[in-house]
Amino acid sequence: MREKLLAFALLLHSSKRYQNYKTFIRGILFDDTNKFKKFFDISIIFLVITSVFILIYEVNHTVPVWLDNYDIFVVSFIFAIEYILRLWVHNDIAEMIYKEYNDALFLKKEFDIYSVIKKGLKQKLQYMITPSAIVDLLAILPAYRPLRILRVFILFRVFKLLRYTKSINQFVDVLVTKKFELLTLLFLLLFIVFTSGMAIYILEANKNPNINSLFDGLYWAIVTISTVGYGDISPVTEVGRAISILIIISGIAMISFVTSVIVSAFSERLSELKEYRIIERLNKKEKFMIICGYGQLTKMFFRQQRFDIGDYVILDNDIEQVNKATKDGYLAINESASSFQSLSKFNYQNTHITVLALTSDDVENIYITLNAKSLSRKIKVVARVNNPDNINKFNSAGADELLMPNLIANTMIYTAITQPTMYKAMHAILTGKSLANIDEVHVHNSHGLIGRTIEEIDFKEHKLLFIGVKREGDFIFNPKGDFIIEAYDVMLVMGKKISIEYFKSLHEGKSYV
Amino acid sequence: MYRANICIFGYGNHGKFIARGLSDEDFNITIVESDKEFYKNAKNDGFSNVYLLDVTNDEDIKKLTLTDDTQLVCVMDDEHLNVFLTLSLRSLYPDIYILSISDSINVTKKLKMAGANKVIDLYEVSANKIYNILDRPVATGLLEEFVLNKKGITFKEMVIPKGSFLHGKMVDEIDFSSFGILLVGMIDEEMGHSFVFITAGIEHKLDSGDTMVCIGYADKLKEFEKLITQTDIN
Repeated sequence: MREKLLAFALLLHSSKRYQNYKTFIRGILFDDTNKFKKFFDISIIFLVITSVFILIYEVNHTVPVWLDNYDIFVVSFIFAIEYILRLWVHNDIAEMIYKEYNDALFLKKEFDIYSVIKKGLKQKLQYMITPSAIVDLLAILPAYRPLRILRVFILFRVFKLLRYTKSINQFVDVLVTKKFELLTLLFLLLFIVFTSGMAIYILEANKNPNINSLFDGLYWAIVTISTVGYGDISPVTEVGRAISILIIISGIAMISFVTSVIVSAFSERLSELKEYRIIERLNKKEKFMIICGYGQLTKMFFRQQRFDIGDYVILDNDIEQVNKATKDGYLAINESASSFQSLSKFNYQNTHITVLALTSDDVENIYITLNAKSLSRKIKVVARVNNPDNINKFNSAGADELLMPNLIANTMIYTAITQPTMYKAMHAILTGKSLANIDEVHVHNSHGLIGRTIEEIDFKEHKLLFIGVKREGDFIFNPKGDFIIEAYDVMLVMGKKISIEYFKSLHEGKSYV
Repeated sequence: MYRANICIFGYGNHGKFIARGLSDEDFNITIVESDKEFYKNAKNDGFSNVYLLDVTNDEDIKKLTLTDDTQLVCVMDDEHLNVFLTLSLRSLYPDIYILSISDSINVTKKLKMAGANKVIDLYEVSANKIYNILDRPVATGLLEEFVLNKKGITFKEMVIPKGSFLHGKMVDEIDFSSFGILLVGMIDEEMGHSFVFITAGIEHKLDSGDTMVCIGYADKLKEFEKLITQTDIN
């Protein structure tokens, strides 16, 4: 038996097909980027809604047989399958056996397959008692006809929808932070309800026709303390009324207390919830920018508004700066960009992220660069360097582009003194205010210019000045007419913005074969 | 066109860089500092015309005897001092050219009010560079190289001298490529005193006194500058 189980587990583990199926199912159930998950989710939601609708319809009408059958067989059956699949992919017993078996072989110790299976089953059991698994199970139960009362369990199917809303989790999270306060209040409430419920039962059971059991007493206490006060049971003795007064007063106090605890919990976490929303929204975009630090440079960057920078978020670990940025109308969250956790919240695997490290502190900027690059090499980092001595450090940290404010300003001053005419040109180009632009044309591998000579491309006709080509890191200045353009060249051209755009659009993606 | 006399106030972060850059070229540099440490640095770096004086004191500044053709560069590390200095210099020398550096938006305004002819805003130029990096990284990198590099490919502006063979020719008639350089733009004195890029689509006639901005290897540019003094090249 042991051998057979072991052989079976090893077979499952080595079976590519089995593993593929499992990965596929896991993808459908959990992976938001899986294209089938959306369809799966929509069908589940459809099943839930129809089945609840049938339940409501059934109250006053007779349901046709086919609908009843649909409810029992189709919905419950699919839910049952879903439940089993979720249980199946929760963990991998075969793999656990494989690992333990190999370890045992390695250590030359005795291998007990049952203890591993027990461990695996225990994990499955642990999954079964999580709230979402219980909801799933209860949603299947109504299929069992003989228990008429179970029809109500169909309402549990509605709870299945909770899986698709993240806000409920956030709500629970917020309440968990106030666990201590809420539990204390709950115990106090239970204490008052029980003592006053018992008191009213003892005092009035024989005098009040409405109070016949201890349950009536407790029911009355709850209705009174919550200030609901149905009035179906009301005290008739003096002492009973005195107790009522006491629990009404304590009820008001307690309710306001609970409300204030929950409200304060939410207001404490409000900024966090807001940040979560901002990050969630960004993660769905194709590309966005993370701007670190809201200082002078960032302010200036936003003030310039040369072109639409697309989606962005400002990170600053100083809450005051974040408030300032928010007040100025920018999207900012209070996070430290140098912390691994903050950056890993972003969807760095499926989006193009550009990080601008613009704080006035070089250490911080280097740290941000390292942090971003260690998450993914794909993240592009533009880092500000305040002290030129640190350039090497930034380069080894992997920054893609360096920005040296002092050097830029100094260069401008230097140019302004030595070449005033050139300065005007440079300034115009740098600020983008002029009619002329120096721009780059990236020749991708299906670009229309590949294989053509400089002579053939009539730059003059396009009102452009061709300056040169950057090829494999070298810049070739003003190449001769027979120079042939290759894929991955970057051409440097000068001209009016519209000329350049037109030129780019003319050759983009077209291949003259 | 440029002034041969330069007076740099401040030898801190910016002054040092600018002074060193200028010392390679043909300028008559004077450095003024109020900080002893920076003053010493300037001396040690080999500048001879270095003065240590209190820039808040007008009497001291007067002693410098600045002529009107001197270009003043205010790059003190302390921004308050920089504004104050610009103001005093303007009141002492109403016609002199003053260039100041600013490292905040508010200071830029103050410097302009104080009478600086040109203010370079550290953050403005940097912020613009971020846009350039995002938009066209390769071009930005190359441009910077061209500006800073003195030996490789660089920009140079030259005035067409009297009697040059270029005088009276249309731009299209001259094949700049054959000289190993490219004409980027020019100030055509006939068309007003503003810089026009060559790609603006206007036919320019070259005249003596026009300023051309060219790009090319430094040695080719130098050769060309010499060449245009000749009346005929054929």
